[in-house]
Amino acid sequence: MSEIEKYIAPEEVAEAVEALGTGGVTIVAGGTDLTPQINEGRCHYEPTLMNIQRIEELNRISLTDGEIRIGCLATVSEIWYNDIIIEHADILCQTANCFASDQIRNAATIGGNICNASPAGDMIIPLLVLGASVELASWKEGAMEIRREPLDKFFKGPGKTIRNENELLVAVIFDKPSADFIGQFRKSGPRPALEISTVTVGIGGDLKDGKLENVRVAFGAVGPTPLRGKATEVALEGQILTEDIISNAAAAAQKDASPIDDIRATTWYRNHLIAVFTEELLNNVC
Amino acid sequence: MSEQVAFQHIEKTSLIGKRIKKPDAPAKAMGKTRYINDMVLPQMLYGKILHAGRPHAEIISIDTSEAENLAGVHLVITAKDTPELRLGFVKDNAPLKDRVRCERDEVAAVAAESEAIAAAAIKLIKVDYKDLPGVFTVEDSQKKDAPVIQEHFPDNKSLKFEFKHGDLAEAEAKSDIILDDVFNVHLVTHCCMGTSCAIADFDHNGKLTIYSQTQYPYNYKMDLAPALGIDAGDIRVIQPPTGGSFGAKLDVYPFEPVAAILAQKTGRPVKILFDREEEFINSPTRQPASMHLRSGCTSDGILTFRAADVVMDNGAYTSWGATVPVIMMRTTSGHYRVPVVDFKGQAYYTNNSYAGSFRGYGNVQMTYATAQHMDMFAERLAKDHDLDPIEFRLKNAQKSGEVTPQKSYLRECALAECLTTAAEASDYVAKLNKYAAEREQKGRYKHGIGLASSIHNAGGAKIHKSDGCGTILKMDDYARVTVITGASEIGQGIDAVIGQIVAEELGVPPEHVTLVNNDSDLGPWDVGVHASRTTFIAGNGARRAAIKAKKQILAAASKQANVTAEELDLRGGYVVQDKDGAVVTRLDKMLRQMHFQPEPDVVMVSDYYEPNSEPEGRDHISDHSAAYSHAVHIAEVVVDTLTGEVKVEKVTMAQDVGRVINRMGLEAQMEGGLAFGLGFALSEEMIFEEGRLKNPNFRDYKVPTAPEMPDLDIHFIESDCEEGPYGAKGIAELPTIVIAPAIANAVYNATGIRFFNPPMTPEKVARAIWEKKNS
Ligand SMILES: Cc1cc2nc3c(=O)[nH]c(=O)nc-3n(C[C@H](O)[C@H](O)[C@H](O)COP(=O)(O)OP(=O)(O)OC[C@H]3O[C@@H](n4cnc5c(N)ncnc54)[C@H](O)[C@@H]3O)c2cc1C
Repeated sequence: MSEIEKYIAPEEVAEAVEALGTGGVTIVAGGTDLTPQINEGRCHYEPTLMNIQRIEELNRISLTDGEIRIGCLATVSEIWYNDIIIEHADILCQTANCFASDQIRNAATIGGNICNASPAGDMIIPLLVLGASVELASWKEGAMEIRREPLDKFFKGPGKTIRNENELLVAVIFDKPSADFIGQFRKSGPRPALEISTVTVGIGGDLKDGKLENVRVAFGAVGPTPLRGKATEVALEGQILTEDIISNAAAAAQKDASPIDDIRATTWYRNHLIAVFTEELLNNVC
Repeated sequence: MSEQVAFQHIEKTSLIGKRIKKPDAPAKAMGKTRYINDMVLPQMLYGKILHAGRPHAEIISIDTSEAENLAGVHLVITAKDTPELRLGFVKDNAPLKDRVRCERDEVAAVAAESEAIAAAAIKLIKVDYKDLPGVFTVEDSQKKDAPVIQEHFPDNKSLKFEFKHGDLAEAEAKSDIILDDVFNVHLVTHCCMGTSCAIADFDHNGKLTIYSQTQYPYNYKMDLAPALGIDAGDIRVIQPPTGGSFGAKLDVYPFEPVAAILAQKTGRPVKILFDREEEFINSPTRQPASMHLRSGCTSDGILTFRAADVVMDNGAYTSWGATVPVIMMRTTSGHYRVPVVDFKGQAYYTNNSYAGSFRGYGNVQMTYATAQHMDMFAERLAKDHDLDPIEFRLKNAQKSGEVTPQKSYLRECALAECLTTAAEASDYVAKLNKYAAEREQKGRYKHGIGLASSIHNAGGAKIHKSDGCGTILKMDDYARVTVITGASEIGQGIDAVIGQIVAEELGVPPEHVTLVNNDSDLGPWDVGVHASRTTFIAGNGARRAAIKAKKQILAAASKQANVTAEELDLRGGYVVQDKDGAVVTRLDKMLRQMHFQPEPDVVMVSDYYEPNSEPEGRDHISDHSAAYSHAVHIAEVVVDTLTGEVKVEKVTMAQDVGRVINRMGLEAQMEGGLAFGLGFALSEEMIFEEGRLKNPNFRDYKVPTAPEMPDLDIHFIESDCEEGPYGAKGIAELPTIVIAPAIANAVYNATGIRFFNPPMTPEKVARAIWEKKNS
């Protein structure tokens, strides 16, 4: 059993990042992943527990110079009801609608969802479709240093990312989608609420004159990380969504995915659903 | 005030059938109720159990020294400290084990100053196991060289049940259609929101007070005593508010004697409280069963026989689960008119977890089979013989006065009315035909409608020599009533019903009735909350006690008013003239006068109500309940044929309730009972691999959530049961029993596929549809 020796709750980003630089720190945001994982013995507390919830600037959602920026502390509920998101990135609202329950949505942060790096992390899928990047802040020689990394390069395996221990994920950023952008999200699960995804599919692109362009496809819970569906994207890029194209895309989706059997679903069912959802989303669009 | 009302007339009104608030509801809704889980006694220690976590093993050695040396630990015990102590239905279980027979086996226990210390101490106990080959299926259990699980049962055979009636060969010969299918019902558990808890406390005389969630406090003492080696008379059971039972607390389970042994040996109160994972792994389940059912019927649609061969996984120990054939056979022989019956049930020991009682007790399982066979007959008869599916069921529905082969006497039988009411309200036959026709057409989403019914005991179940309940009722100087009843309140609402019944008889507001029913040193004997019996049995008892009190009061008042007692009544807190309600005197005044008069008297009565049923008996031929009841559910579903998701949109329920007592409580029982059945049908399943539970959490064990509840159209059929209080019957289990086969029949109507093995999870449904399409 590891004991928490110190609890800190900084109010400034720099303060948090500096504390992180000293090592031995566990970050807690909404705590909705961390707490059950600690209870199950899947992870343990470092000597310092740092609550980042008091850093006000980290839950802002803004649109400047064509770039939408979501602070890491924005909760799933805040994203769902945010005007900028509603207007430009509805796919995030679709996802929020399928996410847990009211109580969890009010606590769960976008930063926590990304850093937890579950292959079934729901909010990651629309962000991959939106081509998002993350900002990671660390303390270097008395000042804060920030690097930006594309989200589709961020995940390394279940629970594993390229984020170093001394880095705080401060925000996710993506270009404001064009007026022609359409984005669709689908999540499976027997229950309409409180469901861990067995398969998620996100598809987005610009729909112009019946053709889908700048296509991005993302899948969840069908591999060790949330992943981009490269073969599916190729099958769809620049295409008019005919019946043939849609069934090609569904077949490509099955190639992109590498699901496993677990107690939530078999490989067969995940493969089946990924095709079903891909077709369903494309049919919704055309 | 009394002058003013002297001229008043009070009309006769009735509370029966009204909506009565549950007295403890506001406190529960606002989080103010202190459940047993919240209780802390002075000087209390925290107990924790080390479970084996492996299915079958010898225990070579246990080293408790490190745990004992941890600061804050008071005691560590193992099976060595508790020799000879036994528990369970056939006494094949022990508080602590010297050999491991299933994952949940209790190997050692700790009492410590805090929960954290107890948990840390448990981790310091070193056990050296020698794992043994395990038995995880009933098939393996029956093999010649199968490992023996219980020494006293060398062939791994546990309980066995049989009932035969009529000539099977003859009945088969007479049958034009014979159905022959195997139904496998899976493992589910109660998921009480309040996890298991017991607090044990011995006094200086060696008497044990146990704070418990039990739903059968009086026989609980008898079952707990041999697990402690003390006299049952030296046990006092206190039942603080509990977060659900549903049958899970109808037996003594090892954690309870373990808490008591720790308390006895440390001289301190000891509390054991499960966390959610412990609760999933170490609580009883519903009895799983493989039911081979054969049913016959003529081309005119008359049932000819039912033959059921039920094989059950007993698990490692025997609790009430393995006894469910007692009810399964009543379903086999009594769910519709069945002239010839052949029922066999056999349980086999395995290294799996073990089952207890669970709402619906055997009938959830058996009705899943019988109600699907009825539907399969109905379809065949409609197709080949043009027989209407409701007409077919009506032909076989018993009528009032009929007696089943097991001698269940159906005094008031409303099955036909339940069938026609539900069928009309839902437009069943038209939809059934429409959806069947649409089945083969294109389209992703398919509608289906399904009907199921069943029978259940509704006037207790005399599985003990007595099925009675004691009541003591007294009134004070302010016309407040105290009812001391044997009936336990586990959330089901007997508190509201007894208040209502007593208020009805004594003409006082229900809020003026106080219930005392949580202390075995005070309460008179009762069998327990099970078998849908409490409103029927304890309600009758409370009513009879109230009538006695009323007689005593009216006798006293008649002397004073110089009229006969028959001419008087109690209404609205007054003694009144029965004919016109003219006020004679205030009730509280009357009560005071009764003991201030020259021949003083106090209102204090008692009653023991014994229903007019017969003990179950070894041959299972007896009228074991004072009433029987039927229910019909018609489920309307939409099936997503690609994802396999089944959405239950609406359920029409018609149930013979005898008479509505508390309408609000009754509706809540319908809704709650249905939710249980919904989870069983569609999503809940304990997944075991080699005796180990793989989903001991609410993330992966899927109870239904609020959005999954269908719209309900509830019809109460009032058959006016002669023996029941005001005509009421017991009602609480049928809503859980009937819904799953109704959904299965609806899914069939939508897809053309029968699901013999619930739950009908999306994956299972999707796969079956996909395989049918690609075969
Ligand atoms: C009942 C229930 C239902 C759920 N349902 C869903 C669901 O439907 N879909 C879904 O995707 N998830 C679901 N989850 C998981 C969880 O709610 C989400 O992943 C949530 O977004 C996590 O955010 P949080 O703020 O609670 O993270 P926390 O638990 O606070 O943190 C998670 C991890 O990320 C780290 N971390 C947090 N913020 C940062 C940061 N800014 N920089 C660096 N590291 C950080 C923490 O140290 C921790 O390791 C559910 C959880 C529960 C308990």
